Amino acid sequence: MTRIFRNYWTRRIAGSIAVLLMVLVLNFFLFRIMPGDPVSTIIDPHFSPQAKMHLRSQFGLDLPLYRQFYLYVKSLVTFNFGHSFLSQKPVWEELKTRIPNTVFLLGTAFLLSAALGTWLGVKAAHKRGGVLEKVVLVAGSISFSFPSFFVQLVLLLVFGWAIPIFPIRGSLSVPPPEGIMALWDFLWHMTLPISSLVLLGFGSWAIYVRNLMIKTLSEDYILLARAKGLPENKVLWGHAFRASLPPIVTMFLLALPGILSGAVITETVFSLHGVGKFLLDSILGHDYPAAGAAFYLLAIITIICNLAADFAYGLVDPRIRLGRKME
Amino acid sequence: MLYFVNKHVREMGKMTKALRTYFLFIVTFIVCVSSLPSAPSMGMDGKIDINSIRGPKIKDLYMVIYRDPDSQILALETGKLDVLSDIIRPVDIKRLAARDDILLTLSEGFHIFFMGFNLREFPWNDLALRKALSHAVPRKKIVRDLFAGYCMPVSTYLPPVSPYYEPNVTHYDYDPDKARSILSEAGWRWSKEGVLIPPGKEKPLKKVYLLCPTAQAAPTTAELAARIVDSFVSLGLPVELQMLDFSMMIKRLDKHDFDLFVMAWSLSRDPDNLFAFFHSSMDTEGGYNIQGLHDQAIDEVLEKLRWAKDKESATAYAKEAQRMLSEKAPWIPIYSRYMISAIRKDWKGVIYSKKTTADNMWSLLNMEPKAGKMRPLYWCLPEDPRTLNPLAASSAYDWSVLGLIYESLIATDPYTMDDVPWLAKQWSVETKGTGENSSTILRFHLRKGVTWQDGKPFTAEDVKETILYLKKHEIPRYFDQVNHVISVETPSSQEVIVTLDRTSYWYLHNIGGLPIFPAHLLRNVKDWKSWRPERLNNPNGPKLTQLIGTGPFIFTEYKPGEFVHLIRYDGYWKR
Repeated sequence: MTRIFRNYWTRRIAGSIAVLLMVLVLNFFLFRIMPGDPVSTIIDPHFSPQAKMHLRSQFGLDLPLYRQFYLYVKSLVTFNFGHSFLSQKPVWEELKTRIPNTVFLLGTAFLLSAALGTWLGVKAAHKRGGVLEKVVLVAGSISFSFPSFFVQLVLLLVFGWAIPIFPIRGSLSVPPPEGIMALWDFLWHMTLPISSLVLLGFGSWAIYVRNLMIKTLSEDYILLARAKGLPENKVLWGHAFRASLPPIVTMFLLALPGILSGAVITETVFSLHGVGKFLLDSILGHDYPAAGAAFYLLAIITIICNLAADFAYGLVDPRIRLGRKME
Repeated sequence: MLYFVNKHVREMGKMTKALRTYFLFIVTFIVCVSSLPSAPSMGMDGKIDINSIRGPKIKDLYMVIYRDPDSQILALETGKLDVLSDIIRPVDIKRLAARDDILLTLSEGFHIFFMGFNLREFPWNDLALRKALSHAVPRKKIVRDLFAGYCMPVSTYLPPVSPYYEPNVTHYDYDPDKARSILSEAGWRWSKEGVLIPPGKEKPLKKVYLLCPTAQAAPTTAELAARIVDSFVSLGLPVELQMLDFSMMIKRLDKHDFDLFVMAWSLSRDPDNLFAFFHSSMDTEGGYNIQGLHDQAIDEVLEKLRWAKDKESATAYAKEAQRMLSEKAPWIPIYSRYMISAIRKDWKGVIYSKKTTADNMWSLLNMEPKAGKMRPLYWCLPEDPRTLNPLAASSAYDWSVLGLIYESLIATDPYTMDDVPWLAKQWSVETKGTGENSSTILRFHLRKGVTWQDGKPFTAEDVKETILYLKKHEIPRYFDQVNHVISVETPSSQEVIVTLDRTSYWYLHNIGGLPIFPAHLLRNVKDWKSWRPERLNNPNGPKLTQLIGTGPFIFTEYKPGEFVHLIRYDGYWKR
């Protein structure tokens, strides 16, 4: 590894830490600038101003701002996120019960829609003007433009009610089965939500990859590869697709943090216990510890994915391996 | 009511196709109401003698979390749910009412929606203007158009379901001509452009604003506010709608920075909240006298209401306060909601009335499958309980679960809303002294044979420990209920004497309505905020947690996001 290469990564990591610190500070002040606090939205005539004062004190909102900031930074740096104002439970515990569902739901849907979209995009570009391309363009545009709640409700109505082959809520049956059947039960419950997200997500991938591939397939080196008599699959996947990979990998890695932020609508329609609804409720309820921790974790993951994208760029495209080029 | 925003958004956000569904709804409503006396679970007089109820009969109760209203309806129709509460969309009501296998029940709700004036400022401190504007709002038409008939137009300061409701108040029926004549008589004039000119002034009124939540957050409230604005504009008031994020709106109201506002309150059966809404001492920043009413005569009546010695005087003062308020018109009351719930008809023993929907504790005690073979009951929870710590729990969803485990000294009659002996078989209220030197003595005689779910006997010590613990730790949720407690004595294991400073009839409900916790467990709770009784093993029962009460159901399992499972308590005192 060269000195320049090392310097580049040192700068990138230092920059990332600076971004994280900015997020940390903004997180604190943005929530406090927002009108209201966790207590002000309690408007119950049986909850007197005196009782509100006690609650404010319980939440530590009566402390000076600098003291609140110190406690906030301490809690995030030590990853001890404190207790949620709304549930009184440790924030980490709240997140821990939600993250597996959200990561499985969105991670699986993301991988499947990216894989399906990419494959269809490559095939559509390869058979330009053909039926497949038309189907991909139309289906992609439709899937891309339909509101998620509509698609999900239709799926729910068709496969949960009219032809009831899938459950209409949650990630397990009530009462839940035991042993290996529990895994099967979980997969059965997640099929409909994941399918809906794949249906909604593959279109943008397909159109994006198709457009990239069309440009790549018109390059001279593709013509040369074909003229050399290389098998069409080798030309398509080994040359054209590989050359199109950097922006695809970037898009993939930059979209990756989204799988932690959850999908509020999907979680609501299918009554799933996930991070998205938790984050929304935390923001609406001015639950500073919960929202602060969730945004902090998202910021860390986003920064890591950004760094990974930079690194992966070099892996998939030898031309942009910074150190080697400089040598 | 604690988490007003979410609930309000939910309440207001789902009203569509109002005009088309209105007539269908009326038919539905009539069918539902007319079906009440002939329901199979009813006795000869349409009521079940609640004293004769022995239960619970069901063994397993699953409170299943369905967040989406559409999936709730589908689940009810397909039999995956047995009980669904708080149905608000006309399309759902119509759909469910058309089914033979589902019983819809309706009751009047403890809810009121109103428009308030900022009485601290001109022109809102002008009584004639307030009265005229009250006559300008076509509340019946607005409610009919927007809510398809399932809300009740009201012109009173308590909803009709309240035992203290006073119908004989000054009503301001829709009458634009009368509104104009009131203004003319008071010296108001109109400019050439039709804008109101105050008495003794030359220039017309400046533009004013009606605050309401955004249409994205609460579309029906926004539409309703727009209709109010239209009716005011037609009278010559230069008013515009100002839609704000709810937090921002609350901040403006807290700081008294507004002209007009719309708001809803969820109330309880006791009318002492009139004190919080209208007494001049509550006109503080963040206080509930948002409109800033200062009226000595009303203050006096509200003080008498707050410190009433008995039910008779409390009723008289509550009614007098409502009559006086209607004269002063600090609000324009608009509507009150109906509560609607649905139960599958393969269950019998359901208890409901015009004041209580079927989704109540009495039904849970009395319900059993019609087919004879016992099976689990599936009850819908629209959200996860936020916490199962009864000391910190505040949302309605938390108490949907906790209310089946913990009980209080006094319960509420589902038919009359009167007090019913519960953990206390009888009680007496004694007052001493007058004014600020007075005190109230509540004497509760406890029911014998009641046991905690871990087998320990329920005694006066449990009541004493509960009240003193809540008082000592100043727990916000219970602060106002125990704030006035001076002492708690237990002359015997079946008798509790609670002494409170000053005299107030509402003390009975404040103390009698407290959930009672087991003293043998509560004593060991060092930090009430982080107490997680559902996770702690109970030393007295191998399969029990510390989330135990005297109630009819024992907590067994909570799967976050999925369900709460409770089983019947076989040692329950009402079995």
